[in-house]
Amino acid sequence: MRLVSRKNANLLITLLSLAITIIAIVPLLWIIGCVIANGASAINLEFLTDTPAPYGESGGGIANAILGTLIINAMASLFGIPVGVLTGMYLSEYANSGKFSSVIRASVESFSGVPSIIFGIFAFTLIVTAAQHYTALAAAFALGLMMVPIVAKATEESMRVVSDDIREAAIALGIPKWARTVKIVLGVARGGVITGSLLAFARISGETAPLLFTSLFSFYWPTGIDQPMATLQVLIYNFALSGYPDRVLQAWGASLLLVILVIVINVAVKVVTRPKYKEGF
Amino acid sequence: MRSKKSSANYNRQDTIFKGILISASLLVVGLFVALFLMLIRESMPSILGNGFAFLTGTTWDPGKGVYGALPAILTTIATSLLAVALAIPVALGIAIFFTEYAPERSKFPLTLFVDLLAAIPSVIFGIWGLWVIAPLIKTYVQQPIVASIGFIPIFGGPAYGISLSLASLILAIMVVPIIASLTIEILSRTPVSLKEGMISLGATKWETVKHVSLPFARLGILAAVMLGLGRALGETMAITMVIGNSYMWPFANPSIFAPATSITSKIASEFYEATSAIYVGSLIELSLILLVITLATNALFRYVINKTNRGAKRQ
Amino acid sequence: MANGSVKLDIQRLEAWFGDKQALKGISLRIKPKTVTAIIGPSGCGKSTFIRCINRMHELTPGNKVAGTILLDGVDIYNDMDSMDVRRKVGMVFQKPNPFPNMSIADNVVAGLKLINAAGKKELEEMAEENLKAVGLWGEVENDLKKSGASLSGGQQQRLCIARALAMRPEIILMDEPTSALDPASTAKIEELMKTLKAETTVIIITHNVQQAARISDMTAFFYLGELIEYDDTRRIFESPKSPLTERYIMGRFG
Repeated sequence: MRLVSRKNANLLITLLSLAITIIAIVPLLWIIGCVIANGASAINLEFLTDTPAPYGESGGGIANAILGTLIINAMASLFGIPVGVLTGMYLSEYANSGKFSSVIRASVESFSGVPSIIFGIFAFTLIVTAAQHYTALAAAFALGLMMVPIVAKATEESMRVVSDDIREAAIALGIPKWARTVKIVLGVARGGVITGSLLAFARISGETAPLLFTSLFSFYWPTGIDQPMATLQVLIYNFALSGYPDRVLQAWGASLLLVILVIVINVAVKVVTRPKYKEGF
Repeated sequence: MRSKKSSANYNRQDTIFKGILISASLLVVGLFVALFLMLIRESMPSILGNGFAFLTGTTWDPGKGVYGALPAILTTIATSLLAVALAIPVALGIAIFFTEYAPERSKFPLTLFVDLLAAIPSVIFGIWGLWVIAPLIKTYVQQPIVASIGFIPIFGGPAYGISLSLASLILAIMVVPIIASLTIEILSRTPVSLKEGMISLGATKWETVKHVSLPFARLGILAAVMLGLGRALGETMAITMVIGNSYMWPFANPSIFAPATSITSKIASEFYEATSAIYVGSLIELSLILLVITLATNALFRYVINKTNRGAKRQ
Repeated sequence: MANGSVKLDIQRLEAWFGDKQALKGISLRIKPKTVTAIIGPSGCGKSTFIRCINRMHELTPGNKVAGTILLDGVDIYNDMDSMDVRRKVGMVFQKPNPFPNMSIADNVVAGLKLINAAGKKELEEMAEENLKAVGLWGEVENDLKKSGASLSGGQQQRLCIARALAMRPEIILMDEPTSALDPASTAKIEELMKTLKAETTVIIITHNVQQAARISDMTAFFYLGELIEYDDTRRIFESPKSPLTERYIMGRFG
């Protein structure tokens, strides 16, 4: 093959891959642009402080959904992060290649492959049917369970790369294993655990399916964790499909808030974890 | 010198701590088993009531007590495969550009974009797909195609906008960053010595990618595709908002421009209103089928990857 | 020295890594069909030097090159495409790097396939010819389909030499090709030098001064980025002109 046509092939691939990359970025910018363009006009004081107006009426806000999302996410994290960290700790520091460890690993791995709606159904069958009504607690359980594999993996990986020298130094100081693991190894690995937890938090903030038959929705302020509760995600879903232009606009506004939350967390994590040095080639 | 008493103390503390960790891990295992058991138990009314016809039936009419899930199952599989098929070349393009051609300083913003695309909540993909993309796609893509090659059944009209094809497209956009970021990671690990070997023979960058990097990354790319496929299979909100929620596809209308229903969109849109035990049971049986499809797909991929790995090591 | 008998003419070659200068003005002329050994302590610029000759130094970020290198009278930087240069100047690396995703036979002709040099039948013949040239044929003729990575270290390196040789290069550069190998494999490769010399011109970096004495016609001694001495191997080892050269050689001997 002549050198010119080989170089042309290379040039073609360069341009093609560049074009593809640009095309792939377009949806991101488009979505963010739409969300800002459509949602910005919906945001005002009433939007942020009032509860929704009934369908067909104008005005109202999404404040209860903002609060609901925060409450449910907080509860989910209270469950998901500790369980995830403990499991990850076990896998990193105590697990061997035995059957027990493989079963745990397989469970964590399988959980990360489970579709999100199934977590909702699981929570429904466990909690909602027992309680005889929709509850925010069930939603927190579903979302918390979704966090577990993310946090567990992040914890296991961050702790695993802590060098054995550090562990040996701790042993030499006569520190018992539990303290070595929690105070020393986890201390070194805490960056990875924190970013993993943040990413898990951002992830569940965007999950809607598990909420559809657990926390359901509400037009009112949260009345208790054993009751339905409004969330940003479900609000967006309901309002966007409602067909009432006022509500659709508010769905865009809620989307803007949600997007800002998710982007801020992801950018923060990315900036904090960027590699500080570059290797050649 | 450490006293015997404090040694015993330490041992006890260690045991308690290990017990806590094991409990948490067992909780995870237990919950996974419970998940399966609950799904099976709650689908019983349907498994017993609908029997095998559930999997082969093509009509879904709760009012008449008829529950056939085949169109939903086929739709789930079709949209996922289509989405991944669309996403793979794009993801590869991004990964190749990033690892071989992108200037150093563009790499951080690039990975940021890819990660952000992956982080956008699916319900927002849904609202964007529904209100922004659907009308555009209907007018500028679907209708022209129908006008020109609409005599072929799968491209037949009318163009609904909200349809199987739109769902696959949105799904593809959601899956691209997943495949791309994993592929970038795996391609970056190509040993420099191998690339240098190829370059020293006078290869172009593309030839090096084609003959060294991509073969090296084969299994990793397969794993990335597996992850993308898993995501596509389980996606609910975006699909529900743009797929149309109708049993038209594929038996009543095989066109990709027709509305359809996937397993997830059916569950999402009907669960709240399902009242009878067999109705709820049918929807839960649907979710069980989805879970089985997803886990089986993962297991299949893992098997292929492990087998290929072991084969390579034996050499 | 008449021009016709200069294969590689290096004139005032300078090279940088970022702002660190690795080569400070190297000038030397390599004669065709010779083996030239490059010796010197670590970090003295030997690797950078040969990577300038096949234009691989320019792949390092922050690199800079000045000076002229003429291959058969042609400027390899200004008058040749970098891929043409690499086609004519082959390289064998310190750690053997056969392509694991290709068979042994495909490894040998990997470079030829890039330039679409021949059809399937001819490629098979070339693979056999070059494997014979490096003495590998007898050991692998029944396993030609196996992965290139399935061989032992010494065999892998001979495979890499065959791969470079198959391109019929004007020059083969070798960067400490035997330092990662056992003595038996090293001996086999050293024997190859006579074969290689008949076909092409060899420039070989070695940290093993005895090896340089055994296999090379000419020797160049580098120190801290400068060429200290370049002469007939026997003359350098028997009566080095520079005290630095002498100290280095002495330090390594016995």
